[in-house]
Amino acid sequence: MTQDERQNFFKGMAFLSPWIVGFAVFTAIPIGLSLYYSFCDYSLTVERRAPLWIGLDNYRQLIHDTLFWKSLANTLYYAAMALPAGLLVSLGLALMLNANIRGQSVYRTIIFLPSLVPAIASAMVWLWMYNTQFGLFNYLLGKLHLPPVGWLGERMAMPSLALMSVWGVGNTVIIYLAGLQDVPRELLEAAEIDGAGPWRRMFSVTLPFLTPVIFFNLVMGIIGTFSVFTVPYIMTQGGPNNATYFFTYFNYDEAFKFLHMGYASAIAWIQLVITLALTAIAFWTAKKWVHYG
Amino acid sequence: MKIIRPLIFTILGIIVAVFLVLGSHQKNLVVRPGVTVVEYWEKWTGPEEAQMQVIVDDFNNTVGRDKGIYVHYMSMTDIDQKTLISIAAGVPPDVAGTWDTQIAQYAALGAVEPLDDLAAAHGINEDYYLPVYWRGCHYDGHLYALVSTPGVVALLYNKQLFAACAAQLRAAGLDPDTPPKTLKEFDRYAEVFDEKSPDGQLRRMGYLPMQSWYVPQLSFWFGGDIFDPVRRRLTLDSPATLHAYQWIQSYSKRLGGQSLLNFQNSLGNIFDSPQNPFLTGNLVMEQQGPWMANYIHHLKPSMSQVLCPTSEEWKLPDRRANYAWGVAPFPSAVPGLENVSYNPFDALMIPAGARHKKEAFEFIAYVNRQDVAEKLCTMHCKNCQLRHVSDAFLKHHPNPYIAVFQELAASPNAKCVPVCPIWPEVYKELIDTGQAVTLGEDPATAVRLAQQRMQERYNRFLTMERRRESLGIN
Repeated sequence: MTQDERQNFFKGMAFLSPWIVGFAVFTAIPIGLSLYYSFCDYSLTVERRAPLWIGLDNYRQLIHDTLFWKSLANTLYYAAMALPAGLLVSLGLALMLNANIRGQSVYRTIIFLPSLVPAIASAMVWLWMYNTQFGLFNYLLGKLHLPPVGWLGERMAMPSLALMSVWGVGNTVIIYLAGLQDVPRELLEAAEIDGAGPWRRMFSVTLPFLTPVIFFNLVMGIIGTFSVFTVPYIMTQGGPNNATYFFTYFNYDEAFKFLHMGYASAIAWIQLVITLALTAIAFWTAKKWVHYG
Repeated sequence: MKIIRPLIFTILGIIVAVFLVLGSHQKNLVVRPGVTVVEYWEKWTGPEEAQMQVIVDDFNNTVGRDKGIYVHYMSMTDIDQKTLISIAAGVPPDVAGTWDTQIAQYAALGAVEPLDDLAAAHGINEDYYLPVYWRGCHYDGHLYALVSTPGVVALLYNKQLFAACAAQLRAAGLDPDTPPKTLKEFDRYAEVFDEKSPDGQLRRMGYLPMQSWYVPQLSFWFGGDIFDPVRRRLTLDSPATLHAYQWIQSYSKRLGGQSLLNFQNSLGNIFDSPQNPFLTGNLVMEQQGPWMANYIHHLKPSMSQVLCPTSEEWKLPDRRANYAWGVAPFPSAVPGLENVSYNPFDALMIPAGARHKKEAFEFIAYVNRQDVAEKLCTMHCKNCQLRHVSDAFLKHHPNPYIAVFQELAASPNAKCVPVCPIWPEVYKELIDTGQAVTLGEDPATAVRLAQQRMQERYNRFLTMERRRESLGIN
């Protein structure tokens, strides 16, 4: 390394240092500590109650914890509904918004608006829409002479939350719309000249070109569904009978309500491993259905 | 063009600099030299926050001025978590106003200071306090908190609806002019008030067990307890607790579990709102504390001035006649077991690592002085934690039934929060159990599983404590 290169290197590091320090203090060290705490009994109180090393005890206890399995099953069940629903609805909306129609920008704004509403505010609104006696949905069912539904009851609560998640797909729609701009127009025109109809053009040209965007949204969706917290916290408090007790909610309770920081750290690491595993599966399957270029 | 860009950046820079300077400007606390500033964090917001501010100001202008102490009062949400984090960081407040449910949990973790010596020095002892609150402030034989404002849970009933349904009540052999005295009678009253809409949905209920904030403590009214600190055993599967959950299930068996949850869902989580089901008449009887009088007065004043405006009710022979609601002890399931009550309270604690313990306790002791306690409890519309209260407190209290609440708190059958270090977990488990039995799970199985799960957790806590003790890191 010449003197100039060395000088440049140190200058570069000096400019980078605020980020490096921030990353180390607020991300890397806490992540490392949480891994250590996951092998400890630790309560985040006074200094003299230092973390007590207990090896794999927290992980062993997790295996026997019925709420761990319940919250994991709930989260997977939610992901199985919310993820495909979100991907399909946002893709459908993006395709519609991409069409050359009058008032396109107005529709785009309307679709995007719900994403700007804070999660707590939208949860409160949906809570009333799902209200058994006075809610909008049961009012509409009543107009159709159908019996009212307990939207947040034990059986319906999870599908209701999944349905609600579709409301905030504006961000995903925007990403799809950006992806749609990259579909080569000449290919679409060539397909049209060859006699391909709109559906054929969509399935044979548009969708294959969109697969990298779909894949990106899938991965982000996997991460997102495993971090769901605010909506069930506000709307159902995990009930009834733990029907909407999500993995992150379980983690929150253990950490901040029951003060089991060590146990909560173990839960967080399991959550990371599961998310990584699902993402890895997505990457593995991507070879077969994602087309770049 | 050459000038415009630097000009824009300069203006933006000035704006940012101004915001940074103004944003970082804190109102400096100016106190006389030699005065100790006691940091006091409290959970209350709104009127309750302002009412505590009155007490803090009184202290600063009297005792605090004489003794060189200034209490700096800060109100915040999620106080339990913020206090805990500040303790871990070594910068806790001097006084933390949390809940009774945290006392045993924090004390077991060494997060709060024992107050035995300070309380004794101020003459605050079990003769001064009502026994139920004194017990609730202790863990493992030591005093870790004192009360800021207490509460008592009693039966609140809608007298207007009792009168409106007088004929049906009489037909069922019940007296519409008096509240139920036994739990069996209570159930019969509740059944009379249940009403369904044409589509079969519940429109009004006499009583909704799961709507109560106090489902986990229901076994108290069945003669049971939740935790045995001597035997270090939870008693979630005791006959009394089982009986309590069977009672909860009797409501869902009669009306349908899903139907009950639908009704509960339709009520929403709207305690502090005119849509509170007790105020709208959707719920005729409920378990509530003395503070409810304040909420009723503000949210539905018509229920608090049936005969004349509140300001003139002192002229009435019995001011209770001015109220459309009544209060009575919540009936017990055990014959002869009377005046059973659950007594939650707001607690003042000194977190471990606080810098001014002695001065902090001066303020806590001040809040517990009879005249001050009565003033704060009157403003908060609560009963008083002390054994002796003045006649003026009972006479001029905004809740006309305060004597009933005070008597319930003094009863030998008054219960406080179980002094169990894992109470928040047990609380969640008991709420879950209530929902499970409402939806049809066998109560015997449900309480057995709850007991098994929670006892395992408690045993784990004890094991860890023993290991810590042997290593000297407790």
